[in-house]
Amino acid sequence: MFQVLVNANFDFMGKRNILLVCSLLVVVASAVVLAVHGINLGIEFQGGTELQVRFVESQDLGTVRSVLGDAGLRNYQVTTIGDPADNDVYIRVGLSGSEEEERDQVIALVLNALTPGELGDLAAAGVIDLNRTSQRELLNKLAAAPGLTEGDATLLAAAVLEARRENAIFRSMDELAGLPGMTPEVFDYLEKQATVGPFALRSQSFIGPAIGHELMEKALWAVLGSLAGMLVYIWIRFQFQWGLAAVVALAHDTVITLGLFSLFGMEMSLPVVAAFLTLIGYSVNDTVVVFDRIRENTRTKGSTMAFTDLVNLSINRTLSRTIITSGLTWIVVLALFLFGGKSLASFAFVLVVGTVVGTYSSIYIASPILVVWRSLVAKRAASKHLGRASAGRAATKKKVS
Amino acid sequence: MSTQLLWKFALIIGVIAVAVFYVIPPEERINLGLDLRGGAHIVMEVDTDSALQYELELNQSRIGQTLKERGISYESISPAEPTVMEIRGTDVSRSDEVREVLDQQVGRWAIRDLGSGDWRIVMPPEYRTYVENAAVTITLNTIRNRIDALGVREPLVQQQGMAGDRILVQLPGVEDPERAKDVLIEPALLEWKEVTYPPGVTDFGNWAPPVSREQAAAMFGGTLPADTELFPETFTAADGTLGTLWWPLKRVSVVVGNDLRNAQRTADEWGESQVSFELTSDAGRRFQAATQENVGRRMAIVLGGKAGKSVLSAPVIQDVIRDQGRIHGGFTVERAEDLALQLRSGAFPAQVNIIEERTVGPSLGLDSIKAGVIAALSGFIGVLVFMLIYYRLSGLNAVIALALNMLIVLGAMGYFGATLTLPGIAGLILTVGMAVDSNVLIFERIREELRLGKTVRSAIDQGFSRALMTILDCNITTLVAAFFLFSYGTGPVKGFAVTLTIGLLASMFTAVFVSRQIFELVLGSRSHRVESLSI
Repeated sequence: MFQVLVNANFDFMGKRNILLVCSLLVVVASAVVLAVHGINLGIEFQGGTELQVRFVESQDLGTVRSVLGDAGLRNYQVTTIGDPADNDVYIRVGLSGSEEEERDQVIALVLNALTPGELGDLAAAGVIDLNRTSQRELLNKLAAAPGLTEGDATLLAAAVLEARRENAIFRSMDELAGLPGMTPEVFDYLEKQATVGPFALRSQSFIGPAIGHELMEKALWAVLGSLAGMLVYIWIRFQFQWGLAAVVALAHDTVITLGLFSLFGMEMSLPVVAAFLTLIGYSVNDTVVVFDRIRENTRTKGSTMAFTDLVNLSINRTLSRTIITSGLTWIVVLALFLFGGKSLASFAFVLVVGTVVGTYSSIYIASPILVVWRSLVAKRAASKHLGRASAGRAATKKKVS
Repeated sequence: MSTQLLWKFALIIGVIAVAVFYVIPPEERINLGLDLRGGAHIVMEVDTDSALQYELELNQSRIGQTLKERGISYESISPAEPTVMEIRGTDVSRSDEVREVLDQQVGRWAIRDLGSGDWRIVMPPEYRTYVENAAVTITLNTIRNRIDALGVREPLVQQQGMAGDRILVQLPGVEDPERAKDVLIEPALLEWKEVTYPPGVTDFGNWAPPVSREQAAAMFGGTLPADTELFPETFTAADGTLGTLWWPLKRVSVVVGNDLRNAQRTADEWGESQVSFELTSDAGRRFQAATQENVGRRMAIVLGGKAGKSVLSAPVIQDVIRDQGRIHGGFTVERAEDLALQLRSGAFPAQVNIIEERTVGPSLGLDSIKAGVIAALSGFIGVLVFMLIYYRLSGLNAVIALALNMLIVLGAMGYFGATLTLPGIAGLILTVGMAVDSNVLIFERIREELRLGKTVRSAIDQGFSRALMTILDCNITTLVAAFFLFSYGTGPVKGFAVTLTIGLLASMFTAVFVSRQIFELVLGSRSHRVESLSI
């Protein structure tokens, strides 16, 4: 049987003070990174416009930028995205990049700026751009093609759009030649009546300022709400201080993950907030598993063992489970990070980092807090007891004298 | 196999059968979100202030028309505040008649005679609320009508927001979001207005309107009459350059947008696209009166659009028109179709602004599906390989439970008609990462019990029963987080919360119950002594 850490017997609690201080330092460092570096907020939170465009030919970003500047836009970013061979360009325009009344027109402004003048002239002459055309426009065009029945035209239009869906863009008219239902006559007709424009639009988003504000507020409440939910649940199932210990560990995970998120300049979006909430829900599991074991051991061995040793024993006994489970989850989120594409990368990043930090915190934050709390309570009880005892003694002394 | 075990397996097979039933065929059962199939997600806000303005304009138009019919002269009717309008310069001697007209037209409003022929009319607050609510409802219906006319399959239109003044529209598979947006939010408020000719003009048909605001003002000797406003008309000159004409038009319209009964694209005698319309009988009566009065003069057709109001054309009225007419405007086929659609579906009673829009093209959606499936599969295979190597045959047990878990999640999604989004795919595979935790907890506990020298059977019993409370605690805490996720999220994030929740609930069944029954099946009857366990 393959096994890890069968008879692990590490003295986790022995180093608790050093590690608690180290953790505190890392949390402070993360907070500083957050304060200095800030978080790269996506348009969902800031408002603005976002477009992903695929070009036929490789683009010089400087040229794209100056074209947008000439169109009167300000406060925009242009970057490549994905595989460079795809010529995908990502354009983001901030809310302050245009006049208030035309904020929701920015998409049209950008698209017009990217469209060369010749294409506009061709469009005026009724020539359609196959990389941008709608199904209706294409159908209207094909309906007038020589030798096509209405049914043929519908089928051919569907075939053209399906090919565009597969390839995202037509790089030349020749790509149309092999499509099912294409005849030489229709192809000749299309060569005159259609063209392939320089780009295809892959996605577009516009978020107004009101939405961003709302989402930000909602995100904050959701995170705080789920932390409070954890506190209450563990309070009910265990005791208040156990819940508190778990929530401190969760806050620790959240802050450190946020710090790394900021350091790597990842972009905050709705799915990323979802990832943080998932992290909170997941990271608490390790803590709960250890807590459950501590409680069980307290019941069976509580009378013969010191609490610190009990905690150590419980962590050691659940250590193999903790490492295997975290490892398996890590495999899954790493796969998402590596293969999930750009939209899932920031989301998976939070979980890749959070899984590791969360595992650490359930061992080195939540349990030590329990131990520290216990010893503090014990000390206070002792000093109270001591105080009462000495007061009593003084009183007796008085009586005697 | 004991009868009890037989029943348990019957239950498991039943669950599998139901799940399979709701999964197959997947392309019909599983709804793909807009981020995967491509489409537009648009949130609009109804500007209720503009609804009040339109309401004022409509009443002004009615009052003006009636005063005119009664032959009562007045200087101007104009809005003073969002809910107040003022009439100036009516004939003082006929103020009883003016009040009668006002009582008849806007009886529930607060009407005040300011003296010397001026009137102030205030909209009551409850009527204001009514107008604001009606604006949202009518806009909602108008949008529904327009979407139906667009021919989008499976659209979603929903009222949203705290104030209920937001409208969410989802249009799956839309290839041309800009057009869809244009069609949806264009107010399409059509009005017919009389031209105010400058003093001294006699050849009404051939009069050339001014080309600038300044020129217009100069024509009227410096200032426009109070009842007149300038409206632009864009035209293309012979040399291809664009120019603007400024038409001086009466503020009060003869006919307003909602008076239309029908509109459609037709072709004129040269095959050029135009829009033909029909008016309601009431509007037709007013239109008849107005055209009768204006034969030989021009009347302007004004379209209120996103960019403000502009003149589409200003034809010379050749004859009395009752309830049918045509609009020329050098339209393309698509533009004429869209305009007819907008006019037909009704005008918005308010300005509508887009406050959020996300459109994913179908090709990007396809890429996302590929990436999501590759990521999910590689993660699943990673977990599977580890479980088989580390727990051997018991690992196989866990893998069966995990596969069943995924099947149940997909089946439940099919049953509820839930939508699978890209974050949802991530949620699906994350569920695997979390569900496997239950198996690991149980297996590690069984190993521990075995190490303590317990028999296989009691180790399994102890392993399952001891781990159960821990598993429950773990899953409930995650469900708490999923609850907040659901209440926070919109669209794709909600999809993620849904898959996560269903996955966790299913894992309680698969990892605890199903996995246990597989052990029972393999170990055979209770009386039989088992020496070793592949774990």
